[in-house]
Amino acid sequence: MVDQFKFPGGRYRITREEDADLRQAVGSPPDPDGRAHPIFYYIATQCEMGISVGDLCAMCDFDVKDGPMMATSKVEYARDLMVDQEYDVGGEILSLVRKPSRTFGAMDLLTYRLTLSDQAGQVLSCINEWVLPRRGETAA
Amino acid sequence: MNPGDNLPTRVLTVEAAPMHVIARVLRDPNPIHLDPKAAAAAGLGDRVINQGPNNVAYVMDMLLAAFPGYRLAAFDCKFLASVRGGDKVESGGVITEVAGDRVECDAWLKVEGGATAIGAKATMLRR
Repeated sequence: MVDQFKFPGGRYRITREEDADLRQAVGSPPDPDGRAHPIFYYIATQCEMGISVGDLCAMCDFDVKDGPMMATSKVEYARDLMVDQEYDVGGEILSLVRKPSRTFGAMDLLTYRLTLSDQAGQVLSCINEWVLPRRGETAA
Repeated sequence: MNPGDNLPTRVLTVEAAPMHVIARVLRDPNPIHLDPKAAAAAGLGDRVINQGPNNVAYVMDMLLAAFPGYRLAAFDCKFLASVRGGDKVESGGVITEVAGDRVECDAWLKVEGGATAIGAKATMLRR
């Protein structure tokens, strides 16, 4: 059972250089007020949740080589993310549910929550859903 | 600013080279984003696959450009289709509700001549 597994977490610093690199890569203008690009919600939480995506898949008895797919991602920000600011990452797995799939026969839907916090409290919370295809299996 | 108003669209062509930068920032060496042969071996066609967060970032940038003086308060998206190197994509949206300092929008990223890659609901909040 992976439900309620708590991620070890970690600490992530959005460096000015990485923010600039990312903005250049996605064609986003620089922010003169030191705000980080909001997509760092995903990058920071994913990079420092404390285990790799491969390990997360393995916990679900799924080989990352079989192609996990992002299904949904939902984030709520209390404040802007800032460059050169350190954030603590935490979170937990919410559910792993087997479902029928017209494409794969069956799939597992993995849902987990991750948060970023600083000294002033929680800055954001996100919930990600991944589809883990179970080709050749059934949902029963 | 009223419900039903369309947001200014943003069009760009997805290049393969920036995917290497994002792979480093994301610490994600998945070769389907870096090597067309790996994408082909995975049955995903003959072009590299753009990282999902890049597609989200395009939509977020469209929203931030549409609402100067606002910040992103919430973003809820579905990943509906892949974007590949060389694809031309358009991000756009429509206002669905205005309530004081808060604006609700539907937003999307569409591949030219193809599928909708991202479907999203966003909340913008005046700073």
